[in-house]
Amino acid sequence: MFRKRKRKSTGVGDRMKNSTGKAQNTPITIEVLRERVDNMEDAEIIEHQTHNNSTIIMVYIRTLIDIARLNESVIQPLRSCRNKNLSECISASKITEILMVEEAEKQLMRGAILIFDTDENQCCSVNLKDSLGRGIETSETETILYGAKDSFTENLEQNITLIRRRLPITALKTEKFTVGSLTETNVVIMYIEGLTNPKFITIAREKIQNINYDQILDSSQLAAFMEDHKHSVFPQFQQTDRPDVCVYSLGVGKLTILVDNTPFALNAPINFFHLFQSPEDYINRWIVASFLRIIRYISFTLSLLMIPLYVALTTHHYQMIPLQILFVLVETRSQLPLSPFWESLIMLVTLEVIKEASLRMPTKSGQTLGVIGGIVVGQAAVEAGFASQILIVLVGISAIASFLVPNYLMSKANTLIQFIILILASFLGVIGIFMGIILLTVHLNALTSLKQPYFAPVAPFYGKDWLDLFIRGPLHWMKTRSESLHPLQKWRYSRRR
Amino acid sequence: MKYKHSKILFVIFVNLIVISGCSPIVENNQIEDIAPVTFWSIQKGEDENFRMSTLIPPLVKEKKRLLTVQVDLLKEGMQGFNLKYYRELKVGQLRMLLISEEIAKEGISPLIDTILTDPDITKRLYLAIVKGDFDEYINSQLVMQEDLDYYLYQMFKHYDTQGKLTVINLHQFMRTLHSPAHSPVVPVFEASNENFQYQGTGIFKNDKLIETTNNMEEQIYQLIDNDHFLKYFPIPDLSFVLGHVKSNVQLNMDKAYSELNLNVQLNGRLDEIAREHKLLTREELSRFESEIELYLEEQTTKFLKKLQENKVDPLQLRKYTLRPFSKPLNEKEWSNRWERMEVKVDYDVKIQPLTDIKN
Amino acid sequence: MSEFSLFDKTSSYDGIYMTLMVNRIQMLYFAIIMPVFLIDPYMIWVIIIVGVLSQISIFMLSKWFNSKYAFKGYGGFVELFGERMVRLLSFIGIGFILLKVTVITLGYIEVVQQFIFPSVNTNWMLLYILLICWYVASLGMANTIRFIVIAFLCTAWMLLLLLNFLFQPFATIHDLFPLIPYEWTMKSWKGVLFIWSALSGPEYLVLLSPWFNTREKILKYMTIGNAFTIFEYVFIFIASLFFFGSHYVGENKFPLVEMIRYLESPVFERIDMILISVYLFQFVFAISIFLLLFYGATRITLKKSKDQTTRSGFALCCALLFISLMISNELLWKKATNQNILLELEMWAGSLTYLFVPLVLFISLKRKGRV
Repeated sequence: MFRKRKRKSTGVGDRMKNSTGKAQNTPITIEVLRERVDNMEDAEIIEHQTHNNSTIIMVYIRTLIDIARLNESVIQPLRSCRNKNLSECISASKITEILMVEEAEKQLMRGAILIFDTDENQCCSVNLKDSLGRGIETSETETILYGAKDSFTENLEQNITLIRRRLPITALKTEKFTVGSLTETNVVIMYIEGLTNPKFITIAREKIQNINYDQILDSSQLAAFMEDHKHSVFPQFQQTDRPDVCVYSLGVGKLTILVDNTPFALNAPINFFHLFQSPEDYINRWIVASFLRIIRYISFTLSLLMIPLYVALTTHHYQMIPLQILFVLVETRSQLPLSPFWESLIMLVTLEVIKEASLRMPTKSGQTLGVIGGIVVGQAAVEAGFASQILIVLVGISAIASFLVPNYLMSKANTLIQFIILILASFLGVIGIFMGIILLTVHLNALTSLKQPYFAPVAPFYGKDWLDLFIRGPLHWMKTRSESLHPLQKWRYSRRR
Repeated sequence: MKYKHSKILFVIFVNLIVISGCSPIVENNQIEDIAPVTFWSIQKGEDENFRMSTLIPPLVKEKKRLLTVQVDLLKEGMQGFNLKYYRELKVGQLRMLLISEEIAKEGISPLIDTILTDPDITKRLYLAIVKGDFDEYINSQLVMQEDLDYYLYQMFKHYDTQGKLTVINLHQFMRTLHSPAHSPVVPVFEASNENFQYQGTGIFKNDKLIETTNNMEEQIYQLIDNDHFLKYFPIPDLSFVLGHVKSNVQLNMDKAYSELNLNVQLNGRLDEIAREHKLLTREELSRFESEIELYLEEQTTKFLKKLQENKVDPLQLRKYTLRPFSKPLNEKEWSNRWERMEVKVDYDVKIQPLTDIKN
Repeated sequence: MSEFSLFDKTSSYDGIYMTLMVNRIQMLYFAIIMPVFLIDPYMIWVIIIVGVLSQISIFMLSKWFNSKYAFKGYGGFVELFGERMVRLLSFIGIGFILLKVTVITLGYIEVVQQFIFPSVNTNWMLLYILLICWYVASLGMANTIRFIVIAFLCTAWMLLLLLNFLFQPFATIHDLFPLIPYEWTMKSWKGVLFIWSALSGPEYLVLLSPWFNTREKILKYMTIGNAFTIFEYVFIFIASLFFFGSHYVGENKFPLVEMIRYLESPVFERIDMILISVYLFQFVFAISIFLLLFYGATRITLKKSKDQTTRSGFALCCALLFISLMISNELLWKKATNQNILLELEMWAGSLTYLFVPLVLFISLKRKGRV
């Protein structure tokens, strides 16, 4: 801890910290303020004569405030106002009186204007923040066919609004924190009082308060600082840009963390199986939803194990391959220069390259790239005697299967695990694969999210939660909230007696 | 922190082992280096004990060919094959074992034991006895049919569950060999230059081939013991062909093990009548039925008598002497009783004519 | 990374974990070779009778769980026996744990060698399995106990596969006859001993008592576990009789694996390889638990039980275990003629511990209660 602080002391953040930390009690004067906004082209200081001949100085940052509102609610009233008291002239909902320059500075940078009354030698601030930002659009990362289409934006207030509209209860609490010495990012924890387990809230609060870093630009960075196991490939927070998902998680007893300037909220504590749940599960009919969920689990396993199995079978266990396929394999494999392990390693890396490239491309060329990458490279690899057709088929299937995992971060983790199991498979065959799976489950078993077990309804075992685990049971059967989250209110029904 | 480093070091260590190709497994099973064989045919050798042959699987525009070695020991043959062929032959996909009749008559348990102890070889390995020279057949057919071995395997697999032919795998053979009856059965085929033909069921006493069923016996055997179903059941002596015959067999042995009652219920269709007959009336049909019943009873009794004379028990009748609360018979007692047992066979044939019955 | 603590009592578990642990710890290596030692159909009754006897042991063990000493763990034992005695007992216990781990690990590795990799050097295999167990155990006792759920879910379903053998064409009810023994030889006695030893294992669970909370119902949960094991044993035995017939079953070394080998799946021809590998879950769990107990017992013997657990100490214990396993593999197990020594020894050792551990605990609890 100490070392970190020392190293930072030369940085910008430190200067800022010192200025805020030390001079907590510099009284506000216009000179000090002028000094602070020096060299800022967009800072404007305007003097204004009122009707009773007093001078009023307004300080604001042009790029942060709404100029139209400035004219309308400050300048116009001041011109016409004959009242001695400043605050009674201005038609704004909230006028704060300011004594210290640091406070003034903070307000200024958040889009307020400062008004000095030189006669009275008092200063007040009026918030005229320009609500810049895009409108509410449909989610692009978690698209669904039916169901709500709105998604979060970069605007924190707006995001809170989206959640509050869906949960119009006063028990929905918001706690605000500021993290990051440079970015001063606002972070809001939301939870339902009397439902969410207070333990989670305490842990989350503690973790956010302990963050000591200069820039928090995204919620995933926040998550990185809050995670219990920082070296794991598995995400321990669910990132979503869908308000309905957040509301659902709040309703079952999780908490949501919103970060300013990011459209992605964090939900925690989660478990491994939450990564396989899509918002659509609760919209589809339960049998269909269950089927789709099972398909998702199967495809996750397939994408994880198919290539390693191919390698294991072709390197060690030819006995397991059905006779007809064996003959095809022997024939194609015997013309290839690479061993099955290297063959699949190269194909998998190529696939990852194509995936990553098509992601970075603009949408339209991305599609072309996908097609070219998929068909041409695959076909060419076979014809050039680089890979066997069966491997290409398997790589294709496992790639498509990996897309079925709704959580994008998870599908990235997926690939990494696949490589590890691949190595084990080429080394020890089927038993190597299972050693890999054992290591994986042991790792998952030991993971925690907000100190809650990550493999929750399975280990530790909560039988009732299984209704919404591998299947999505009918809603009217799910009478209680998930036990693994230890909610304070167990029943989802209001029980009439 | 130390712990993390050791984890990373471990991963690097494993990677190094893998990449350098240093593996704890000595055997190389990489698919491009091996030649999986699907059958072995074992015949009597000229100078040595056995003459083993197998088909080398097809590869890049290479013709399949028959490899033959003369050996004393079975596994020696395996080694012999490898010395003859550039790929290593692997037995993990061995599906059929064809044993010549001469060897079968002398006893096949040394052969079977060798195969049984090899963990690579599946217990679903099909066994068959071949009369005649199988190698000759393969050599002559290879020109016309490339994947001959595979088709042969398909045939066994097809009839495995549905009767019509006796199909026996290694496990079933071993199980019956060790069962109290000690009379396993194995299908017998006849191979000639152009033909490979099913002959019947070979009946073993311990591990020696004693007897092969003839046509009628074979069909009775199929009905009363093996899968209880025949698609066609020609009875040439009566000029009938029954179709889709299903049987329901009930065996009863009395307390003193001196009498065996065999009740067989046959359900089937009258597919073909090859003799002069009147319009198919009800009486006519019941006359046919009783005629068939009588004939089958006679034939079955004859078949069972033959088994009794040979002191073999392929129908596993001895297991009917096992009862929950009585002491099992020992070997000798059983064989004495079986020889002298009185056999009563009763058939109950129910046939459906293909055309409507005229009254 | 904070400090390395293996025996943190951070969570307390329900009785259901006890059920699963009792069951899985009884279903180790001995379940694979079980039919060879029983052979005759009437041994079904022996399984059931020994199972009922094992219930008595379970009952005595559950008395320990209900006592006030159980919650204190090591302290409880000290209160009951005195520190010197506990140290002596744990020293003896090290031997028993070592023997049990040796037999189950080497047994499993032999199955792997026999059916998956005939040419593998078993010492390597041993190293890999122990490395995994080391990782599992190093995550602490609480996590290892939790792992039982995964181990159980991954292995228990394999029992359903045996249903196949009830419907094979060659299986008849006559394979189960006669149901009454007409001769009772030394071999049958050995079968009884074998089953008793196979059912042993739950006696080690008393050492995990601090991690469990519901003490009142622990007997119920342990009984369910034991009953399920007996059901599994009977089921496996009946299936193997159907499959082999009682005359052939003795000819096989690993009847259970041979049976699984006979199954065919539409996709893979030899699913035994997959199923044997799946079995590893259970073995990893058991070995990890024993590894932790081994480490704990060593610490108690060396008077270090109050100190913080250290990584190097634990690693040293693992290394020690590996070396002793490797030596017994080289000297005893690899040679088939010597192999029986270890197996026989474990049969007796398992029976002894399963008989005396509950008895001693029960009697000393009674004595303490009276004084």
